[in-house]
Amino acid sequence: MSAAHNKLKPQNIARSAMILSPVEQLAPLPAPYDTCDKVPEFTELKPDWIDTRCASLDGFVAIDSLRRPASPEDEEEFVRSFIVAVGKLFAHHNSKFLRPLNLTVDYCAKCDTCSQACHVYQATCKQDIYRPIYRSEVLRRIYKKHYTTSGKLLGSFVGAGIDLTWESIARLAELAYRCNLCRRCAQVCPLGLDNGMLAREIRKLFSQEMGIAPSAIHEKGSMLHLNVGSTTGLTRPALLDTIEFLEEDMSELTGRKVRFPIDKEGADVLLLHNAGEFLTWPENPTAFAILFDEAGIDWTLSSESLGYDGVNYGLWYDDTQARKIALTHAGIAKKLGVSRIVIGECGHAHKALAVSANRMTSEVGVPVESNISVLAELVREGRLVFDSSKNDFPIALHDPCNVVRQMGIVKPQRDILKAIAPQFLELTPEGVNNYCCGGGSGFALMHSGNFEDFKVKVCARTKFTQIIDAFGKDFIDPALPKYVCAPCSNCKGTMRDLFKHYKTTATYQVHYGGLVELMVNALASTKTPYLEFLQ
Amino acid sequence: MSYIIAGFILLALLCFVLLTAYRAWKYSRLPLHARLELYPVPKEGGGRARYGGSYYEESKWWSKPRTLSKANETKDILMEMLFIRKLFDNNKGLWWVSYVFHIGIYCLFAWTVMLLVSTIWPLDVHIYTAAIAGMAGYCLATLGALGLLIRRIFDTDLRSYTTPVEYFNLILILLVLISGIISWLFVCTPFFAASQILFFTGLALSPIIYIHLALLGIMLIYIPASKMSHYVGKFFAFHKVLWDNDPNSKGSQVNLHLQKAAKAAQTQKPEWLAPHTGMVAPATEQIPTSSERGNEP
Repeated sequence: MSAAHNKLKPQNIARSAMILSPVEQLAPLPAPYDTCDKVPEFTELKPDWIDTRCASLDGFVAIDSLRRPASPEDEEEFVRSFIVAVGKLFAHHNSKFLRPLNLTVDYCAKCDTCSQACHVYQATCKQDIYRPIYRSEVLRRIYKKHYTTSGKLLGSFVGAGIDLTWESIARLAELAYRCNLCRRCAQVCPLGLDNGMLAREIRKLFSQEMGIAPSAIHEKGSMLHLNVGSTTGLTRPALLDTIEFLEEDMSELTGRKVRFPIDKEGADVLLLHNAGEFLTWPENPTAFAILFDEAGIDWTLSSESLGYDGVNYGLWYDDTQARKIALTHAGIAKKLGVSRIVIGECGHAHKALAVSANRMTSEVGVPVESNISVLAELVREGRLVFDSSKNDFPIALHDPCNVVRQMGIVKPQRDILKAIAPQFLELTPEGVNNYCCGGGSGFALMHSGNFEDFKVKVCARTKFTQIIDAFGKDFIDPALPKYVCAPCSNCKGTMRDLFKHYKTTATYQVHYGGLVELMVNALASTKTPYLEFLQ
Repeated sequence: MSYIIAGFILLALLCFVLLTAYRAWKYSRLPLHARLELYPVPKEGGGRARYGGSYYEESKWWSKPRTLSKANETKDILMEMLFIRKLFDNNKGLWWVSYVFHIGIYCLFAWTVMLLVSTIWPLDVHIYTAAIAGMAGYCLATLGALGLLIRRIFDTDLRSYTTPVEYFNLILILLVLISGIISWLFVCTPFFAASQILFFTGLALSPIIYIHLALLGIMLIYIPASKMSHYVGKFFAFHKVLWDNDPNSKGSQVNLHLQKAAKAAQTQKPEWLAPHTGMVAPATEQIPTSSERGNEP
């Protein structure tokens, strides 16, 4: 990598360059992929994308909706609007984040400890723009220049000022989407500061003030969710059809009666899935139905708009969207009169409803918990009986950031796996220190332009290394099935794309899936294998 | 002159305390923030803090008593204060210089206290303790500050992010330390100077001591206004943000704060301009529930 690209200071974000910092080197993968990507190749953008969007940061485009201004007046208005948005971030408009935001902006000692913890920075062989402090320092300098007395009086002496043009601002917006918001950087900060949170704050000012966000998570994400009922576009009639089909199909496949109670008033549990599961991994909601039925849990799904899709994309980029979605979920549970909401295998849905929504209003709503804790209790109480020999193949556990590092659910999934998986393996590092899958914060859904390449080859690189290392010499044995247990839809989406790109499943029989599928596969009462690759 | 410098240094000490308190008060007055905890949270009891678990590991967590460990939380913050453990665990190269510097600063705090004690109550034990703390403090803090400055100048990764004011901070500290070393080694004992200041005796002091005391006074007033007051920020960042996982439950402190915030929000509406921010959540459809459909209850 050329020194010019690798030694960029924060103020260089405004430097004139076709591509400020192209990815020219990637960290090597372990064998058998050690010869891959020596000279990384990425999908070339269409010329009109280069002309109309911001591809000048690193050659990738995450925000497909961010267009170049048509005139100098438009650019001026864009810059003005951005400066106003930065001010609002530090004012009462953003009251719920003022304390952590101010602490991070005021006290960063620039010790660079956070960079060593970042999988994106490590995967790109330490490319400057991907340091967690790079984007934070850019925002800090802009804020200081326009909104602090010291910045106005002393300027660059106190590190205030970045040249603001459409290009530099758009690069900052893009840079906010080179972070998975896994917050591993915050975990290692000696001062307890949070550059991951700050990346989200940058996304937020662009979305909430300027209406700029990737269409996959805004127009086709949270807006679709609010308008149609699900980010998948699944409407209530379509959901009911899908469930009817699943009940028939899965009953036939498993040889047992599978049923999905819908809108059952007064049930103990409202189970909230990521609706993507119904369409992409139907074996997952089916596994929940089988386990809850076997354990005798009184549960229901909701068919109300939003009630059958527990995702909350607002968590990644927009407080106003997050609030609307979370409060609607809470309202649906209240209306149904359930005793508790149980979140299915969706990491960010856990964080959104169990953690973030908990302080969105003063109202204390229906309590929320994770399916993992519920299932672990069922296992502990012996309400589910297993024959673990059915899962006698290597199984590596991936820890979704939202469930583990950001919610503190670490042991229950391990207790379950110890009961059902004789060859259970940990990734290294594991638990709260685990690495993001690479698809966090919406990346799993963002496929426009060439962003897919950035996700698979850069963001998921450390995770892929962890997986290869965890299986050791068994990895290359095509006769031995191996399974990455990823109890999160987003993480599974990333594994799907990752394994497809590197032909991992086809060549080495490395599969991925959730935890509940493994549990059903190991149920003593199951007559035929539940996992497709064992059938 | 000596009266002025004596008054200034005492005023600077007072400013240091008051401005630090003001800074802490400002952070404490900010509205209750969104939950941003990161695990491990050391106050989690029942052995959970060790591996990063939380009360969410319990099914029906809201119906069970929370096990909290104040002792573990105190132990964790003490490890941070005394050993800068996070830096040790994650950035050992920088830890050595940073730790030497911070231990030096702690010794100088002890020295200041003992200097005052021995001026008022000049027992041998007080004087020797002060002398040892002072020597250790000046040596370690100077070495550490020099190390931090050299590291920041020659490490290209750190240099890229370092602003002039951050060099200024380190240079100011070094000037205070070096002028102090010259004063106490070659001009007069710190015990003598301390008694001059404390009792306003008005004897003339050497110019280098005036310079040292003036720089020290400026630094004491400047620290709370600068990022060198991270001792305040660190408390809030850990205790009030990363380790704050208290749920909003009926009658809880969190709930009281949220009720206050809801009242404040009625007068101070957050106005973001993107059209979707003004959109209200769609009214939930009137889907018949199972009882309305005549299904089983």
